Amino acid sequence: MYRFRFHGRGGQGIKTASRIFGTAAFLEGFYAQDFPMYGPERRGAPVAAYVRVSREPIVNRGYITHPDVVLVGDETLLFDPVADPLRGFSGGVLFVNTMTSPQIDISGELVTLDVTGLALEYIGRTSAISAGVGAIACKIAGFSKGTTMEAVERELEELGLSEELIDKNLRLAEESYRNVPSFDLDSLPSVRESDYIDTNVVHVKLDEGYVGVATIAKLGNTAVRRTGSWRILKPVVDLNKCTGCKICFAYCPDVSIYLGEDDKAYIDYDHCKGCLICSSVCPFKAITMVREVKTL
Amino acid sequence: MSKFRSVKDIPDDEYVAPGSSLCAGCGSEIIARHMLKVLGKDTIFVNVPGCYAISTLFPFTAVKVPFVFAVFGSGAAVAQGIKDGLDILKEKRGINNERVNYKVVVYVGDGAAYDIGFQSTSAAIHRNLDFYFVCYDNEAYGNTGFQLSGATPYASRTSTSEPLGGSVGNVYRKKDIFEIWRAHRAPYIATISVSHITDMLNKFEKAKQFKGPKLFVALSICPTGWGASEEETVRIARLAVETGMWPLKEAVYGEVKHTFIPRRLKPVEEYLKTQRRFRHLFHPVRREEDIKKIQEEVESYWKRVWETELSK
Repeated sequence: MYRFRFHGRGGQGIKTASRIFGTAAFLEGFYAQDFPMYGPERRGAPVAAYVRVSREPIVNRGYITHPDVVLVGDETLLFDPVADPLRGFSGGVLFVNTMTSPQIDISGELVTLDVTGLALEYIGRTSAISAGVGAIACKIAGFSKGTTMEAVERELEELGLSEELIDKNLRLAEESYRNVPSFDLDSLPSVRESDYIDTNVVHVKLDEGYVGVATIAKLGNTAVRRTGSWRILKPVVDLNKCTGCKICFAYCPDVSIYLGEDDKAYIDYDHCKGCLICSSVCPFKAITMVREVKTL
Repeated sequence: MSKFRSVKDIPDDEYVAPGSSLCAGCGSEIIARHMLKVLGKDTIFVNVPGCYAISTLFPFTAVKVPFVFAVFGSGAAVAQGIKDGLDILKEKRGINNERVNYKVVVYVGDGAAYDIGFQSTSAAIHRNLDFYFVCYDNEAYGNTGFQLSGATPYASRTSTSEPLGGSVGNVYRKKDIFEIWRAHRAPYIATISVSHITDMLNKFEKAKQFKGPKLFVALSICPTGWGASEEETVRIARLAVETGMWPLKEAVYGEVKHTFIPRRLKPVEEYLKTQRRFRHLFHPVRREEDIKKIQEEVESYWKRVWETELSK
């Protein structure tokens, strides 16, 4: 059995990528099982998806704790303590969607490609990497180009995308497929047996009712959570153009814009989720967007 | 004279903290921010299951005023309990400080306002409870995957009203919660939109003078559920107002007055086309009849408004 784990951010298309891969595996004659996992957080928040592929019927259920292949849709997730994409990875193939060359100390193969850049080029949107990442998973697993493209088409059709958009996605998938190497997964070191046993269950000791009341003493303490890592595009204020009109400040949902002493708008990059409302409402076009590359 | 004339007048005090788990570009955060700016720190915030609940996931809270989490149907009932408790402290214990005069605001989504919590809200209005009830209306159960609610407009796709097999999506009309509340004869009722900040601030300010239920329904854009990109939030809300689909109005003791009267309406298409939930009205074939139906309903509404309010 091969276990693939996908990591990305809500809205990026990671769930669809896992479905594309699952469908492709099925078309290749494997048994396949794919499912996403997201908690109570959404767009921009870390999500994971899991795919098991096997020649035999799959009886395992639950999360994949020891993946053979990990695909990371957003490089800023690499060292994110919540997403923790490298957890349980002990040799195999790691794919990272990045425009830089990350220095990661891992045992196993590292594959990188700037899928977000390709998505911008072919589709015009950064949040449309599903076809690319799905195709990359297929190539890593050694699936044929034919089944890969068929799986992309089938899954995107099911989502109700227009023919034109599916065509663009197919080109993105083709380009992604072409640019990554293929592996013989059977030759990879593996920890298959532990898939069943180690499920990272934490046993919580229950306190008496009067002790265990959920009280938060410090109001507004979400400020310690750095939602800045959610960004894919980053707003940048051109201080020469900014007139301090406060319009971006008024519309920022995340209280992440403040006016400096010079009365100009500054962005709190620790918390800005990158919705870019500020850029769209700025009457002076003083806020532009750039690709986020920083690893938080 | 309105207190807030431009965004320059927005109070600096901030009662919502960054770092919440809400989607990027969520409209409910913009509304909560400005609501608390006007109501101030002496406010108790009652919330029920819904999107905004994840602003406060234990052990974190994004709201800098006391926050009470109630069960889905009971937001207004919990507000009554808090208010009664404060009144007892005041009247029976003789305590009189800013704490016993706390305002109570119930901040809920459309699921709780239109459907599940409607009974307790109706009862609280009936009892003339002195509280604020603010509904951030994203026109579906956004928190659980965008299912149909009583607030979903005609023809909207939701995950329980998919436009399959020639269906138009949601076949029902949106409930008119404003009129339902007005029938209760509440002292102050208003509609607000994330696009019109000063209008929103002035309405919250105006509501302060009334004793009894003060009810707000806010158009809250949901980029995730509506299928729009995050930066479009404000533009879509503005289009909703300019096409006439979301009238900005208030009712003081039942007397309705519109706070923004467009002289000419933009075609509803301009609004519908910004969202994937209405995409089936245009692709693969244009559903002329349904678009016309929406347009006509909006026009007949505004025709009445123009006749009554512009002639005054």
